[in-house]
Amino acid sequence: MTVTLQKKICMLGGFSVGKTSLVKRFVESIFSETYLTTVGVKIDKKIIDLSDRIVNLILWDLAGEDDISSLRMSYLRGSAGYVLVADGTRPSTLEVALSLRRRVEADFGPLPFVLLLNKNDLREQWAIRDEEVEDLRTSGWWVQSTSARTGEGVDDAFGTLAEQLAR
Amino acid sequence: MEALPAAVAERLRALIYNERSIAYLQVDAGLTLVGAGGHLEAYGLTGLRLGEPAAEQAFFLEGLLPPVETPCVVPSVELASGRAADLQFFLEGEMCWVVLLDVSADRDAARRMQQKAYDMTLAQEREALLNRQLEAANAALLATQSELEASRDALARAHDQVQAQAAELAAWNKTLEERVAAQLAEIERMARLKRFFAPALAELIVSSGNEHILESHRRDVAVLFCDLRGFTAFAESAEPEELMTLLHDYHAALVPLIQTFEGTLDRFVGDGLMVYFNDPLPCPNPAERAVALAVAMRGAVAALAQTWRRHDYQLGFGIGIAQGFATLGQIGFEGRFDYSAIGTVINTAARLCEAAKDGQILVTSRVAAAVAAVADLGEIGPLTLKGLSRPLAVCNIEAFKSTDAKVA
Repeated sequence: MTVTLQKKICMLGGFSVGKTSLVKRFVESIFSETYLTTVGVKIDKKIIDLSDRIVNLILWDLAGEDDISSLRMSYLRGSAGYVLVADGTRPSTLEVALSLRRRVEADFGPLPFVLLLNKNDLREQWAIRDEEVEDLRTSGWWVQSTSARTGEGVDDAFGTLAEQLAR
Repeated sequence: MEALPAAVAERLRALIYNERSIAYLQVDAGLTLVGAGGHLEAYGLTGLRLGEPAAEQAFFLEGLLPPVETPCVVPSVELASGRAADLQFFLEGEMCWVVLLDVSADRDAARRMQQKAYDMTLAQEREALLNRQLEAANAALLATQSELEASRDALARAHDQVQAQAAELAAWNKTLEERVAAQLAEIERMARLKRFFAPALAELIVSSGNEHILESHRRDVAVLFCDLRGFTAFAESAEPEELMTLLHDYHAALVPLIQTFEGTLDRFVGDGLMVYFNDPLPCPNPAERAVALAVAMRGAVAALAQTWRRHDYQLGFGIGIAQGFATLGQIGFEGRFDYSAIGTVINTAARLCEAAKDGQILVTSRVAAAVAAVADLGEIGPLTLKGLSRPLAVCNIEAFKSTDAKVA
């Protein structure tokens, strides 16, 4: 009998980095060009079949906050892992992602996470240095370039995190 | 808190219940759903099964149960239905209540404000990015302009350098043309002078730059005349080709000697040659130089004569030398000039030549005196020569040993 797990994960990152679009791409396989800011938190569910087990991912898409002190930590309660998202065309959003990760780790301890550098379809506007990304990878981070518009890297990223949570 | 009258409290409850779409879930200590009610359908909570795990049916509860503190609220949670609710958690004994209170209107209002703020921030970020790109483009343009200016300056310097080199080249060219013209003039002058003088002498005159010596002047010169004995008779009987061949061999043997001894060749007249020394350039011991040439000529013709005898040419060779003042210079007119000498000494030398027998070198007493120390002289005695009023003391040069290093 296949074991079914249910895991809550949170989407964290600055505003307008594409968290909601990534969830929409992952859950519904669609993309909307219209930017609609998230207020509070939006919850979705996606079932992932990992062949030996099934994982129900409960996705908490938190409102983007550049001011990490505004982050409602109550949303993260009970989270098994999280997805950090940065916009590859805006270097400041990587700084926000790194700060959020420090804040989360301070409050909840080390949790599995992945870092997504989104908007890879706008490569000509890319502004994050490759050296910086390499440094993060060298320090053990799982970093993936993604595009919610094209779907590039999205399933791979969530699948990777699900694998980590299912261990 | 003052208790509300029952009618007011009921009215408020009805208002909140309907307008805020109140719904509730009841979960026991085993996280099993044991109760549910209210506007559950507004939040998509339909088909709930009591007695089964709560989080599997209301998946937003995953990780939130049991609450660590109570009461507590998780605000503005948008569920699959699209509605947003505040999730209120509180305990009643071991039972946990979860109340959903619709905040969609508040969520929408907040979204409108937040959206404007974020749109403005994004616009500012884009503007800042564009400004940075503009500044970078401007900096690149300035750098390019600076490079262009540097290139232009370098080009101007190269242009000036090329101009200077061209001017220098033109100056060199002009100098070269002047040199070529000067050398051509020199060659022309040399060619003209070589008609009269030995090549070395002609070069000396040209290099001295003094052609005034060609003007008419008087000078003490030693004059040598020579010709062949029996040539008139030979010319009458010989074929013209034979005659020309003989004269060619004869001149080819003598002219180089004249040049060697730096004599001035005045003219050829058939077999006759006239040579003088100490003009146009002075030489030491002109008489000795003339005698030295005469002895060399005699030897050369003697060698030729052996060939001539094999052809049965009966020819001899005689020389006359005199020394004295003559008038010398360029004579003739435009297009034809000669350098020549006129005077008694010329006639004397010519008459001595006429008088000389084969192999004789007849000289005047003055010439004899000048070479007495280096020559064996044979007394000929006074000769009466045509054109001369008095007999002339004449000697024959029998042997000669020159002291002149130039001709020895």
